[in-house]
Amino acid sequence: MRNKRDERTTLNAKNEMLTRTEGLVLRTQQYGEADLIVTYLTLSKGIIKAFAKSPRKTKSRFGSSMEPLTYARISLWGKEQSMPRITQSDIINSFCSLRESFKDFTYASKLIEILISITPEGIPNKKLFSFLLGVLNFAEIQITKNSKLRTKNWDLRNKNKDTMYLIFQVRLLVMLGYAPRLKGCGKCGVKSPDFYPHIGTALCGRCAVPSVKGRELPLRLTDSTINFYSHSIEWPINISTRLKPHHETVSRLSSVMDEHLTYLLGKKLMTSEFLAKI
Amino acid sequence: MSNGIVENLINALMKLPGIGRKTAQRLSFYIMGMPADEVKSIAGALLEIKEKARFCRLCFNITEDELCAICSDPARDKSSICVVEEPSNLIVIERTKTYKGLYHVLLGALSPIDGITPEKLKINELLERIKTGGEVAEVIIATNPNTKGETTAQYLSQVLKPLGIKTTRIAQGLPIGGDIEFADEVTIAKALEGRKEMTDNN
Ligand SMILES: [Zn+2]
Ligand SMILES: [Zn+2]
Repeated sequence: MRNKRDERTTLNAKNEMLTRTEGLVLRTQQYGEADLIVTYLTLSKGIIKAFAKSPRKTKSRFGSSMEPLTYARISLWGKEQSMPRITQSDIINSFCSLRESFKDFTYASKLIEILISITPEGIPNKKLFSFLLGVLNFAEIQITKNSKLRTKNWDLRNKNKDTMYLIFQVRLLVMLGYAPRLKGCGKCGVKSPDFYPHIGTALCGRCAVPSVKGRELPLRLTDSTINFYSHSIEWPINISTRLKPHHETVSRLSSVMDEHLTYLLGKKLMTSEFLAKI
Repeated sequence: MSNGIVENLINALMKLPGIGRKTAQRLSFYIMGMPADEVKSIAGALLEIKEKARFCRLCFNITEDELCAICSDPARDKSSICVVEEPSNLIVIERTKTYKGLYHVLLGALSPIDGITPEKLKINELLERIKTGGEVAEVIIATNPNTKGETTAQYLSQVLKPLGIKTTRIAQGLPIGGDIEFADEVTIAKALEGRKEMTDNN
C-alpha cells in the first residue's frame, strides 16, 4: 500500500526541499572517485537526476540500492533548479535477476535508452511509471518460470525473449506517442507494404509524393510483420507471450523499429549497436 | 601578487578525482610553502608517468617496459588468469599476496546504455591470449560487484565457454568488519548463495 504522506514535499531552514517518492533506477554515471549521478524514473517527478555521495564504497549505507533497474523508496533534498542529493534509498524490489541475465539486462537497457531519449525530465507520468514497473515485473516472472523449466533449449528461451522485449518496445513507443504506423497508408488508409522510417508511417504508391519517395527508400513490410505489430499493440501484455511469430518476423519488425527510432532521435541507439555486436 | 597563478593551480588540482575547491586551495597553499626541489620532484614524477607509462603487451597492466613485472616473472603461475576492470583493481588483489597467477586488465566494463561494447575492451586480446597461450586452465573473473561488472562477467563466461576453460567468479557478499543489519537484501542473498561448508580447523 502506498502511503499518501510518502509523496509529500517539505522545506527545511536552508530553503531546501525534501521529496519522498518511489523511483526506478534508469542509469548511473560515475562522478568523481566514489560518487554517483543516478537517473530515476520517479512516481512524483518523472525522470530526474540525483546525486549520491559515496555509494560505490563497499561500506556505503546505500548498498546496492542504486544499481540500474532497482525499484526503491527514495528521499531527496535540494533546491529548486539544482540537482538534489539522495539521502535515503530503500529497496522495494531489486530486480537483480534481470541484471544477472545478460540478455534481459541488455534489452531492458534498450527500453531505458528509448525512454530517456524521448521523455523530457521533470514531467510526472504515473502511467509510464506503472508501465515500466509492470514490464520489469513481467520479465522477472518469466525468468523464474524459465528457471523451473527442465529444458536447456537456450535458443528457444532467447527467441522468446527477443519477442517479449520487442513487444515491450512497441508498447513503450505507443505510450510515449511515437509508435510508427505500419497498418495501411498514413494518408489514405489503403493497404501498403512500404514503410517510410523518416515519416514514421507506411504510405501507398499514390500518397508517397515524389519528394518523399526520392529521399529515402521505404522498408518492405510483410503481412506477418504488420500482424505481429498490431497484436503487440492490441493484446494485453500478460497474454502477449502467446504470440509466437517466426524469428524472421521478429527481426524484421525489430529493424523497422530501429530505423524509425534512428530518424526520430537523429542518432543510432547505443543499445542497438551493443546488441548488434554480441 | 596576481591571483591568476594561484587560481590556475587550484583549477588544475580540481581536475583530480575526489578533490574539491576547498582541498585544492589547501594543497595549493601547502605547495607554495614547500621547498622548490620537492615541488620539482612532484612535477617530475607527474610528467614521468605520462611519458613512460604504457600498457603491458599481454595483460594491459601499467608498465614501463613491453611486459609488466608480473607477466615477466617466471615464478608466477601461468595456468591461471585473473580478469579485472582496471589496473588499480590489480594492485588491490596483489596487495593480498594470496594470488600467484597472471592477470588480464580489460580497461573498463561493458555497459549497453553507454555504448561500451565488447570490442572497446581488451576482451578479444584475452581470448587470443588463451587460444595461443595453451597453458591457461582457469580464468577468474574479478570484475566489480556491480551491474557493469556483472554484465561483463556474464559476457566473458559466454565467450569463454566454447574454449572449454574453467571459468570462476570471485565470491560476492558481506564486507568484513560490517554488520548484517546494515547490508541490503541483494548483498545478503549473494552471501547466502556463496556460502561455504565450515571446515574443521582444530
Ligand atoms: Zn495513400
Ligand atoms: Zn602484464
